[in-house]
Amino acid sequence: MTSTVSTVTADSAGLLPARSLGAQILRDLGGVALLAIASLVAGLVMNRFSSAPLPIAYQTPEQRFDVELTTLVAAPPFKIAPAATVGLEEFHSAVDSKSALILDARPSVFFEQGHVPGAYNLARDDFAHDYRDLAGVLRAAHDKPIIVYCSGGDCHDSRLVANALLSLGFSNVSIFTGGWEAWSAAGLPASTGSGR
Amino acid sequence: MVGGGTAGIDGERTIMSPDNSRRYVVVAISVALAAVFIYAGIDKIRDPLQFADSIAGFAILPALLINLLALGLPPFEIACGLLLLGPWTRRVGSLAVAVISVVFFTALASALLRGLTLDCGCFGTGAPSRPRMWLELALDAVLFSGALFVYLRSIEGLTTNGRRLRRHAGVA
Repeated sequence: MTSTVSTVTADSAGLLPARSLGAQILRDLGGVALLAIASLVAGLVMNRFSSAPLPIAYQTPEQRFDVELTTLVAAPPFKIAPAATVGLEEFHSAVDSKSALILDARPSVFFEQGHVPGAYNLARDDFAHDYRDLAGVLRAAHDKPIIVYCSGGDCHDSRLVANALLSLGFSNVSIFTGGWEAWSAAGLPASTGSGR
Repeated sequence: MVGGGTAGIDGERTIMSPDNSRRYVVVAISVALAAVFIYAGIDKIRDPLQFADSIAGFAILPALLINLLALGLPPFEIACGLLLLGPWTRRVGSLAVAVISVVFFTALASALLRGLTLDCGCFGTGAPSRPRMWLELALDAVLFSGALFVYLRSIEGLTTNGRRLRRHAGVA
């Protein structure tokens, strides 16, 4: 019995010698590393053919929303669905009665120089930023009529912003086509600065 | 070594021996681990964007690595599960599961220590919850233990099989 015990080796006991065990674990870890690389390649290939591929660098939900909003107002005018329009009289009445949310789609520098009293600046060229700033106001006015204006004449900013709002789920959006030009030409009151 | 014979291969006893029962336990644990990892992988592969958001919640990785992990980890989990099912690939599969379980455990523990409350995205999406994070931390420990057990048994199996082959060839 004693001699049997003395001749038992690590191998005969079903155990790998420490050196072989280490080498085996290293070999297996190499296999795991290869598996990880192959999985990454498979993931990238699947992403390449996905209907909504991820970009290589991660974007936070806020960044993605900004991109989405920016894309919404970057659509060329010929793609824009026709939104309802209002004339000066109707617009004036809505401003006076405060029955609609008035949005100025011009760049902030023009808004500060003069805008329709009570209007908020939702600039087409800084739409994502302004939209986030006005999120509370827009949410509160979700079921209220919204009227958007820009400089007037051939300006597209009001159409682009109105179209973006329609895409975002606001259903009652119209455009004051005369814009700031028609409002100021009629000698109607104006506010200045960044506030309403 | 009473009852230490093996069934079948050496024409020895065919009754349930400790070796055989251990083998069944290894197979059962491997199948359970494979099921967990294949399910988790398929679940994540369906919505990589959501999974990327979950990874970002841990605030560990830079933006450049988050999407790469979100794309690479689900196929890795599925591959681990499939490897666990094959007798010849089980060893690497179980080591991969052990390694990834340590990574999951470390990430979750670090988030818990930093006071974060998040949805780890381990098995689909859900509301961020600290009790659930603790539960998933415990699950990672269980997965690691199971994978380590399978790996060690598989390594031991290498020696046992080699010894048998040598005995058959008349070397031993």
